[in-house]
Amino acid sequence: MLPPFIILLNMKKKIEIIMKRFTQSIIVLVGLSILIFALTRLMPGDPARLALGPRAPEWAVEQLRDEMYLNEPLYIQYKYWAKGALRGNLGISLVTRRPVAQDIKEFFPASLELALFTGIFVGIMGALMGSMSGWYNNTWIDNVIRVIAYIGVVTPPFVWAIFLILVFSYFLELLPTIGRLTAGIIVPPKITGLVTIDALFAGRLDVFFDALKHLILPVLSLSLGPLSQEARITRASVVANINKDFILNAKICGISERKIFFKYLLKPSLIPTISVLGLDFAGIFAFAFLVEKIFDWPGLSRYCMIALLKKDFSAIVGTILVLGIVFTVVNIVVDLIISFLDPRIDLERGR
Amino acid sequence: MVFCKKKIFLITLCLLLITSYTFSFGGALASERILRAACDGDCKIDPAIGGTGYNAVLPLFNLYDPLVFPDTNGLPTPHIAESWEASSDSTLWTFYLRQGVKFHDGSELTAEDVKFSMDRLKAIGEGSAYLFEIVESTEILDKYTVSFHLKNTFAPFLSTLYSFVIVSKDIVLDNTKEGPYGSLGDYGKGYLQFNDAGSGPYMVKEFPYAEYLLMEKNPNYFLPIDSNCPDEYKLVFTIEPVTIRSLMSKRELEISDIGQSTETLLALGNTEGINIAKNYSSGGVWVYAMNTKTPPTDDIHFRKAMAWAVDYQTTVDKIFVDTIQARGPVSHETPGFDPTVFQYYRDLDNAIEELQQSKYYDKLDEYPVTLHYCAEDKDEAKMALLFVSNMADIGIKVEVTATPWVVLTEECSSLESSPNITNFYATAPYPDAGAVLQLRYSSSTAKNWEQNEWLLDSTFDKMIVDALSTPDDDERYEQYGKLQHYIVDLCPTIFLADVVIRRAYQANYIDWPLVRDEAPPVEGYDTIGRFLKVYPEKRSELLNK
Repeated sequence: MLPPFIILLNMKKKIEIIMKRFTQSIIVLVGLSILIFALTRLMPGDPARLALGPRAPEWAVEQLRDEMYLNEPLYIQYKYWAKGALRGNLGISLVTRRPVAQDIKEFFPASLELALFTGIFVGIMGALMGSMSGWYNNTWIDNVIRVIAYIGVVTPPFVWAIFLILVFSYFLELLPTIGRLTAGIIVPPKITGLVTIDALFAGRLDVFFDALKHLILPVLSLSLGPLSQEARITRASVVANINKDFILNAKICGISERKIFFKYLLKPSLIPTISVLGLDFAGIFAFAFLVEKIFDWPGLSRYCMIALLKKDFSAIVGTILVLGIVFTVVNIVVDLIISFLDPRIDLERGR
Repeated sequence: MVFCKKKIFLITLCLLLITSYTFSFGGALASERILRAACDGDCKIDPAIGGTGYNAVLPLFNLYDPLVFPDTNGLPTPHIAESWEASSDSTLWTFYLRQGVKFHDGSELTAEDVKFSMDRLKAIGEGSAYLFEIVESTEILDKYTVSFHLKNTFAPFLSTLYSFVIVSKDIVLDNTKEGPYGSLGDYGKGYLQFNDAGSGPYMVKEFPYAEYLLMEKNPNYFLPIDSNCPDEYKLVFTIEPVTIRSLMSKRELEISDIGQSTETLLALGNTEGINIAKNYSSGGVWVYAMNTKTPPTDDIHFRKAMAWAVDYQTTVDKIFVDTIQARGPVSHETPGFDPTVFQYYRDLDNAIEELQQSKYYDKLDEYPVTLHYCAEDKDEAKMALLFVSNMADIGIKVEVTATPWVVLTEECSSLESSPNITNFYATAPYPDAGAVLQLRYSSSTAKNWEQNEWLLDSTFDKMIVDALSTPDDDERYEQYGKLQHYIVDLCPTIFLADVVIRRAYQANYIDWPLVRDEAPPVEGYDTIGRFLKVYPEKRSELLNK
């Protein structure tokens, strides 16, 4: 093993790189906020009039415009917004009429719970299916998994959602249709906002399993697509690596197949899988809105979609910014994991 | 062997155990006697913010009480106000309040609360505030007497009061935060968003904003509530067809939302125990609104030609389904509707005859008709396509554009950007023909998407103001009749169908007066919890079949 001081040097270098990436991310996010800010205000339509409806008197609409600084020039509006944002005030949503920060705080954990369970499921099943497919490539196992994967990749999540509801909720009546918990169950005290985790903290196993039951269909709907994609990517990666010299060398040395697979093959093969998994995880926050609508899941994606459709400025900028943060953080984490899996990859240049 | 069989077997066994354990957990219903209705979320339960949208009126009259209550004919009956009187010129309305009505916190409802509610509504200016611009001031005469001074004579004032509910002054003032209303802070807007300060038959119990609104029965309501009325009333915020169908079949939803498509309602109606309830209380009429100032729709003969060419039968039977063809601008159940108004029918000969009298007859190619419809509405797309085909039969060219809602409202706010035709319906502000006529054709209410005719007709403006200032109902309805004839003669609009609101409901185990025509024909009033009855035993029977 490496002497301790080299490990420390390595860590210091890694931390330096992380800080550099962090600073870069801040610049990207500021740029994103300016871009989204300008875009929303260039869209046609008067948000104040839209929010109050056609019958509201002109003075009430004007009052709302003043409250939102809509009559000021663009850079002044941005200035007010930026000042507020630094203090955690992202403005008031025109749709919910609440602080956007409060809305996001309420909807983010629901999306996180969905993304977390989907990510875990996709990661494990995708890697498993893909590596089985790759290891036994061109056998019947491989062919079956590939067919399933193709179906999964072309079918959008909301089609899975409708199909699963029909089968499990409508015909078989096994699983609930909407919501995060069955009506009447006493909700555990909110610590993280993720009902499953909060239930475990509170020692309420019945709530935990009830929440899990409500998670099954939405998670399945969201995972089947990415799962197939992950499986295919993993398979390709495994197949590519399986013919490499170091595997051949290991086989010749008489190392057992099990050991070759889990110790030597899996780590490098999972690199593209992890990259895509990261993007899929972040993507759920942004793109799960149809699934959230169908399952009445109070998530960020649905909130964002409604804000976009109703031209809710503050909510649009606030949620896009939060989504930007999610994507940036996930990217950094993914790069870290990959550099751990394959030290040859230069973290700094992200190769 | 890479994948150890024993390990895979153990993992699968564990997963199966967890899954079956998960399945075995079922939650009991919070309350057996619960009524669940679906709507599109975004419930604004603050009376000064929520307007006429379904998701605003659905909870409003459960949580709050109005001064006067509509009966099954839409006429005002005593509610919080025991009696009232109007001055001879109908500018001063005095209301004598019932004593002993309690808000949900136990305090008594008095004239102070009525004045506070009106002042608050007018100060905030949203929701139904536009109906009360006519109110100059509110005066407290004594503890249980309050009067409204109107700016001028306004005959249908009582009908507008169906949209006015009473908020507790004390509860609101105890819960104000920082805001733009001077010493009144935010006027309780923050608090009333998620709590109620009302006296109604139901009270807010839980309100996770994006999921549902749960209300519970008010045990101290001033009127008796039958024991079969729901103990809990839940508004579920989902309108996805699959979700609605699944919930209703599993008997987890009692009343669907108002926006389900014809196909979904057909499927629901064919399900055992589920029927479709319909009503015309929105007072709306589906129309093609023609811009009377932009060529070629600025020519009355051109417009009449189009009115003769539309296939009303197909539109009503196939697109709108289960309703009747409109007769003029007022829906047939709205008080003041004139049944003698002329009704167009498809007649291509008459159409061509009118077209030949129009100045654009020989230049039809140079003057295409632009039709913009709301891209998000599937029914409007069907309407547009049929319209193009109908007009092609007489040689009129129509250019259709699916326009996003946001853009459409922007376009309709100025004459220059308004297209020749838009299709929509506007709900009546209150159950009165004059309300619809004023909203749809008055110069003062032009410049928004609920008008596209740009009539700007001073004769009409004078006529409608005169009508609204006529205190005698019969005289006033006669004037409304004249106005309806006037409009139909001018032909600024093609009237298609009376808007029918259709909802699926559990006919087997809920009792809904609406389906027996015994509910007030005013939106929101037909779903007040104290009129509906729920029978959990019948629900169980159905589920156990």
